[in-house]
Amino acid sequence: MIDRVTNQTQMRAAQRNLQENLSQLARLQEQASTLKTINRSSDDPTAAAAAMSVRAEIRAVDQYSANADNGNNWLTTIDSALSSATDIMNRVRDLTVQGANSGALTAAAKEAIAVELEGLKTDLATQANTTFLGRSVFAGNSDDATAFTTVGTPARTVYTGGEGSVDRRISATSTVRVDADGGAIFDAPTSTGSGSVFDLIDNIVTDLRAPTAVDVGAHLTTIDERMAVMVGQHTEIGARQVQIERAQSTLLEKAGTLDAQRSGIEDADLGQVILDLKLQEMTYQAALAVTARVLQPTLMDFLA
Amino acid sequence: MSTFGGLNTAYTGLVAARQGLNVVGQNIANANTDGYTRQRVSTSALGATASTGVFSQGARVGEGVAMVGIERLASTQLDSRVRATAATAGYTAVRANAFASVEDSLNEPGENGISAKLDEFWAGWQTVSNGTDTAAPAALLLGTAGELVTQISEGYRAVSTEWTSVRTDLNNMVSELNGAATQVAALNVQIRQSLATGGTANELLDQRNSLTTTIAALTGATVTEQADGTVNVLVGGNALVSGETAHQLDVTGARVMQDNVSVQLEWRGSARTPVSIDGGEIAGALSLLGPASQDTLATGGALAEAADAYNSFAEDLAKKVNDIYETGFTQAHNDGQVFFAVASGAPTAQALSIVPKASADMAVRASRDSGAYDSTIADAIAQLGAGFAPDGNVIVSPSTVWSDFVTKTGVLTQSELQSAALASSTSSGAANQQLANSSVDLDEENVNLLMFQHAYQGAARMMTAVDEMLDTLINRTGLVGR
Repeated sequence: MIDRVTNQTQMRAAQRNLQENLSQLARLQEQASTLKTINRSSDDPTAAAAAMSVRAEIRAVDQYSANADNGNNWLTTIDSALSSATDIMNRVRDLTVQGANSGALTAAAKEAIAVELEGLKTDLATQANTTFLGRSVFAGNSDDATAFTTVGTPARTVYTGGEGSVDRRISATSTVRVDADGGAIFDAPTSTGSGSVFDLIDNIVTDLRAPTAVDVGAHLTTIDERMAVMVGQHTEIGARQVQIERAQSTLLEKAGTLDAQRSGIEDADLGQVILDLKLQEMTYQAALAVTARVLQPTLMDFLA
Repeated sequence: MSTFGGLNTAYTGLVAARQGLNVVGQNIANANTDGYTRQRVSTSALGATASTGVFSQGARVGEGVAMVGIERLASTQLDSRVRATAATAGYTAVRANAFASVEDSLNEPGENGISAKLDEFWAGWQTVSNGTDTAAPAALLLGTAGELVTQISEGYRAVSTEWTSVRTDLNNMVSELNGAATQVAALNVQIRQSLATGGTANELLDQRNSLTTTIAALTGATVTEQADGTVNVLVGGNALVSGETAHQLDVTGARVMQDNVSVQLEWRGSARTPVSIDGGEIAGALSLLGPASQDTLATGGALAEAADAYNSFAEDLAKKVNDIYETGFTQAHNDGQVFFAVASGAPTAQALSIVPKASADMAVRASRDSGAYDSTIADAIAQLGAGFAPDGNVIVSPSTVWSDFVTKTGVLTQSELQSAALASSTSSGAANQQLANSSVDLDEENVNLLMFQHAYQGAARMMTAVDEMLDTLINRTGLVGR
């Protein structure tokens, strides 16, 4: 008999319905408490794969932002060091011009200029040895304590850094150089000779102190050339800083977009889930009430 | 019919009604007994005795009612449907459980899975690339790498533990099967005896039916009924139970997953013939336990293949990282270093260890002459996460290898869960139909109770009527004019 209903089948059907209701309720409860629609990859394999790749990208973008921040700090440090260096060089030029005015200057005045120039040389060396978090920004990948060291007698300031460039990765496909080539800025040979900028100042000082008057004005060409190099490098640093700042803002924007994507893939809509949960709770309670009502009576209740 | 014939007719009615009431009592008593099939008294009307003698003539009334037997209202067709669907449900349930447990051990997608740890690992290389001048970034990376290696090894262990647990279950299932087969054979004997002596064996049939359902759920066995009331149970085409003989099965093969030998079911005995079954929980377990196939179709045991995926992922990760790392130079100008060491003798997923111990051991300089703080190699390794080889060519990132495995596991688990849900609902539908046919309905029994009660009252009334008739005949006849 296909349509025979007995107490046992009724009981089992009721039990099965309640069980289904309860498991649905448990699923919604999990969603509401984790606020995630995908709690394991079989919930939705495609979305789970997308979620994983978005998460990977979020972590990568996060890291690129950290790299860019770090790079920007390097470039800012270099920028201010180069500004100071340029100021110092301007002063050196002024003093050299003064010193070149040999007819009007006494030996004492020349000595005063020479002393100031020596002071400026020390200042310039300090700028050339600028560090960021303990690393010389003009020394490339060298692990020497300073980019320029004073050696020998008579003392000379020589470049010891410059082993490759320091790069920061700002995306999967691009890096930005964040150090400045100390060698090119302070040490590279010029059209008039191979000495460093420190040698140049040393030379001017020596010439000023020379017992027979020497025309220090001859050094002006070299000073101008040095300054041109410095300004050129400074401009390049500025350009790189713009690049890294643009990358920072792009990365920030991308982080926001990716987070929105991740949320769209993984996160449950709270309102929707709570509504579903309430609805399911109601269904479950109704099922319980109906079951209690249906399962009670049998013919026995009505037989005298 | 003799004068007292009516009394006898009423008496057969009383007996039949009483038996009917007893059977109703048995049904109600067993309303909730598992596997009980409702019973009915079957009766037939007794015909009149043959007319003998010269003077006998005219129509004759029947002699009352005779109890033919107690019927067991089962349906062979529904029973065999229950067995067939139970086999499919058992097969899919075992597989779905194993897949779900492997999937749970992945912890993906989320913050605790291997993919998140991998992202952290690649980012760690970037941090090292930013800060080769201090020890902290390297220490952080080495810590992350250590956790990654542990997670890979834990994941592999979870699969291997699941394998062992399925293997243990398989042994228990086969023991249960052997026990059930022995019981069926014993019941066959009892049932044949009681049927041969004209008795009823309804309760024994119920017992045997639930045992054969258990056997079918375990092995997908088919049951054929014999004329003498016994059943033969066939597993993979051969008799597990034939009449009073029960055969036994054994499981042989690998005890742990690493043995890499197939696990198979055999007939106990000297020949040790393998049994091939394609349904039931045992078949489900066997399908999970096979060794991984070497071809790309992935037709081997699901668990061994998941473990293989862990191994090849670990191998791929170690190789890709080491290939780049080997070209790097340490601070002490040594090259040819490895980052991941792979111990021999253990599965790769459990054999990885991290070689460098501190910042100073890290070989991240591009050449012997590059500056002490050079970190080209660290950046190149970090680029693996984005899917770029050091030469800028696109390669398959280990992260992609991993997420492919997770997706594949997810898809497989999803389809196993779906087929398990489907099979389970088919099976419970079949069980429901069987129950609809065979279970006790209290309302119906109440109605029967009333019916037999009334029949009993009616028969008793009949007896009173005959009694009064006889009283009239014997005591009140011939008293006219007294």
